[in-house]
Amino acid sequence: MTQKVIQILTLNDGPHDFARLFGIWNDVNDYFEDIRFDFSRCGFLRPNAVAFLGGLARLIESRMGSVTFDWNTLHNSWVRTTIRQNGFASAFGDPSAPWDGTSIPYREDTALDMNGIMDYLTYDWLGKGWGKTHLSERVRDAIAGKMWEIYNNAFEHSDSKIGVFSCGQHFRNKNELCLSVIDFGLGIPAKIRNFVGTDPRAQSLPSDACLRWAFTRGKSTCTGGVARGLGLDLLKEFVRLNEGKLEIYSNDGYAIVDKDGERYENRDISFEGTVVHITLRCDENLYRFRDEAEQP
Amino acid sequence: MKLSIKDQIGLRCIIKEDGQKIYDAIHGALQNGETVTLDFEGVNQFASPFFNFAIGQLLKDIPEADLRRLLQIKHLNETGKLVVERVIENAAKYHGDKDYRKIVDDILEQQAKESG
Repeated sequence: MTQKVIQILTLNDGPHDFARLFGIWNDVNDYFEDIRFDFSRCGFLRPNAVAFLGGLARLIESRMGSVTFDWNTLHNSWVRTTIRQNGFASAFGDPSAPWDGTSIPYREDTALDMNGIMDYLTYDWLGKGWGKTHLSERVRDAIAGKMWEIYNNAFEHSDSKIGVFSCGQHFRNKNELCLSVIDFGLGIPAKIRNFVGTDPRAQSLPSDACLRWAFTRGKSTCTGGVARGLGLDLLKEFVRLNEGKLEIYSNDGYAIVDKDGERYENRDISFEGTVVHITLRCDENLYRFRDEAEQP
Repeated sequence: MKLSIKDQIGLRCIIKEDGQKIYDAIHGALQNGETVTLDFEGVNQFASPFFNFAIGQLLKDIPEADLRRLLQIKHLNETGKLVVERVIENAAKYHGDKDYRKIVDDILEQQAKESG
């Protein structure tokens, strides 16, 4: 079988970049695909792209295909250093071992490992650079608990056969701390349509409406007699209070929560899975308890 | 009855399985009208799945007013308090039987409001 070569271009975290990632997913979505990723035209990779490509590679492998990351084509030194340091390159065949620098590690979870994920959020994502020097331990603990809700939702609802993929990065020049958590499961709208499947209108529910419902306090597809449905609501509240940004791409739906409110859209994209992308503003005065003094 | 959460669970109250352990330990006593104290001294990290199972599901058969009278919560930090309050409020409104037709109505109604 011939190997399909996929060009990885410069990938940021705007709508166009996500559309491009979902385009790649569509290009390799068959069984028995043999794929080579070529980085010769790549000048930058944001953590959302790193986590997405890692998960996509595992998805291809799970479908009896093969994946080669052609590291010889990677000429951009920033990208090369970052993905070596964060462990992404070594996860996919590069001989270099990751090292503990300022990068936030690339992470694959096949099960909900509480201590592993909470340590990652507390010490790797929030415990380096800006988070370490500017946030109190109490604030780091509080934020990590909110972020846990993303992983919990991914494992509880997505039915992803290959797990959950994440990566983060602190961008000093933009004063931003990002985290992307990606699963290749059903997607939130599809999950809700299945959940209410006995109703004849279920399959025609629009994705934006499904996402809006999922973001409403107390709404959940969990059964079993215990009230749920607080995770996204707590996360939404946290992001709005701290002037950050929470974006979700799931199937053809898109949701954004930021200081201006929340918006839900149907986009011209198709993706089986969910991307949760959080961007926090690195302004320590936004993250303090009432009894903590404001930084001068 | 008094339980040290740090001794029972550890420094993190995050997952539903740990919440279920606390529920199992205190449910009977609360049903019998006994006072239960949960001491969160030394616990630093919290998430909603733990409290949904530890405390939210108590409201299935214990009225909210009785629960608030009988369950004493000590040394819970600000983050934990916010989550507990949200969980109790959410559980008090919860109806276990899913009416799928009503859910579809809700989704479409919200949608109509937004586009109207």
